[in-house]
Amino acid sequence: MRYNRQIILPEVGEKGQEKLSLAKVLIIGAGGLGAAILPYLAAAGIGEIGIIDDDSIEISNLQRQVIYKSDAIGKSKALEAKEMALSLNPSIQINAITDTLNAKNAIPLFEYYDIMVDATDNLHTKYLINDACIVTNKPFVYGSIYKFQGQVSVFNYQNGPTYRCLFPDESSNTKNCVDTGVMGISVGIIGMFQANEVLKMVLGIGNVLSGELLIYNMLTNDQQKFDLVRTNETSISELDFEKKYNTIEDNVLEITTSEALKQINDLEVLFLDVRNEEEMPKISLPNAIQIPLSDLEENLDQLDAAKKILVYCQSGIRSKRAVEILKENQFRKVQSIAGGALKLQAIIATDAVSI
Amino acid sequence: MLSVKYFGAVAEKTKVQGENIPFSNLSLQELVDELEQKYDLASLSYSIAVNQKLVQDKNSYMLMTNDVVALLPPFAGG
Repeated sequence: MRYNRQIILPEVGEKGQEKLSLAKVLIIGAGGLGAAILPYLAAAGIGEIGIIDDDSIEISNLQRQVIYKSDAIGKSKALEAKEMALSLNPSIQINAITDTLNAKNAIPLFEYYDIMVDATDNLHTKYLINDACIVTNKPFVYGSIYKFQGQVSVFNYQNGPTYRCLFPDESSNTKNCVDTGVMGISVGIIGMFQANEVLKMVLGIGNVLSGELLIYNMLTNDQQKFDLVRTNETSISELDFEKKYNTIEDNVLEITTSEALKQINDLEVLFLDVRNEEEMPKISLPNAIQIPLSDLEENLDQLDAAKKILVYCQSGIRSKRAVEILKENQFRKVQSIAGGALKLQAIIATDAVSI
Repeated sequence: MLSVKYFGAVAEKTKVQGENIPFSNLSLQELVDELEQKYDLASLSYSIAVNQKLVQDKNSYMLMTNDVVALLPPFAGG
C-alpha cells in the first residue's frame, strides 16, 4: 500500500499516518521552496494542503521550480501545483488559492490550517505570516535563501520565539532570488528542511527547530544553529494586526450609512446604538439594541458575537471607539456606521428605505 | 582572540566568511561599531549572536576572550 514504507517506521506507524491524514498545512508561495515542499508533503499523505500564490509560471522559474512543465508556461502556479500534487497522491485534498497572502485573507486562512509554511520570497510577507500566526496562535515554518546559504526555523511553536524575536527590524531591505540569483538545489535543500519540520510537528517526533535558527551553507556543508528566545514585545492582538496592515483602516472598520441600511432586515446583523438614551433623533430599526458607550464593556453579554454588529452613535466618533472595544473583546464582525444617527436619519427621511 | 563570522549579505560586504580579531576589553556594541566602519555595514540589517546565542542588548554585553560573534542578516529568497 501507498504509505507502507513509512508506516513500518515505529516513529510513524498507523497512528502517525492517521495524524498525517488529519493534518491541514498551508504552503504560502508556489515558487522554488513551495515546489520542493509540496510534493513531499503530498506524497507523505498530509490530508489537506493549501497552496497560495497568484503568480503564473515563467520560463525563468523552471530551473528551480521543478514541479512545473515547460508547456505550463503562462499557467497559474497554484493550479498547476494542485494538479501535480493530486496526480502524485489522489487520496488527499489540495486547495489551490490563486491570490497573494494579504492582511484580509491571512487570518481566516490561518484559522483553518494547522501549520503555515513560508515559501515566500520577500520580507514583507514573512512579517505578515509571523503576525497572523501570532494572532491565530499557529506555528510558522520559516525558510529562506541568500545565494548559497539558507535559513530555517520554526516560529511561534508552543509559545516559542517568533520571527520578530530574531529580526525585529522590519525596515531592512534584503534581496531575493530575482535580484541575487539562486541554484535550484539550494531552494530544494531548504524546502526539504521545512517539510521535515512539518512532518515532525504533525507526528510529534524528534526536536522541532523552535527557538533555533539553522543556517546551512551549500558550498561548505557548514551547518550552524543559533539559539533565540521569545522577547517581550511579541504579542499582537487582532486589533493591532488590523491597525498595522489595513492602511485604509476606515474602509474596513467603517461602513457607509447606505451600505448599513441595506442590511437592516438581515437577521444576522445587529445594529448597536451607543448613544445615551435621551439623544435625538431616535432611530428605530428592527434588529437594534441600545447600550451607551460608557456601559458597553459591562454589557457585552447582551451582544451575540456570531452576528455582524454595525455600531452607530450621533456622528460616528463614539462608534469607532465602540468598535475598538468590541474588537478587543473578540467580536469579529464589527463596523462603525460613518456619519452616525444624523446621517442615518437623513437617508431614512429622504430615501425610500423601508423599515 | 575574538572570532567573528559573517553570513549572507554581510559576508558579501566583508568578502570573508569570518576572521579573528585581537581581543581588547570591549562591549559587543563597540565591536559592531568597529566592524560597521571597517566594512561599511551601516546599510545592512542583521542580528547578532555570541557563542551561538542571539543577543538583544548589545550595549551591556561585554565580550570575553575566545567569544565567537556571528552577524546574521535576514534572507529573503525563496
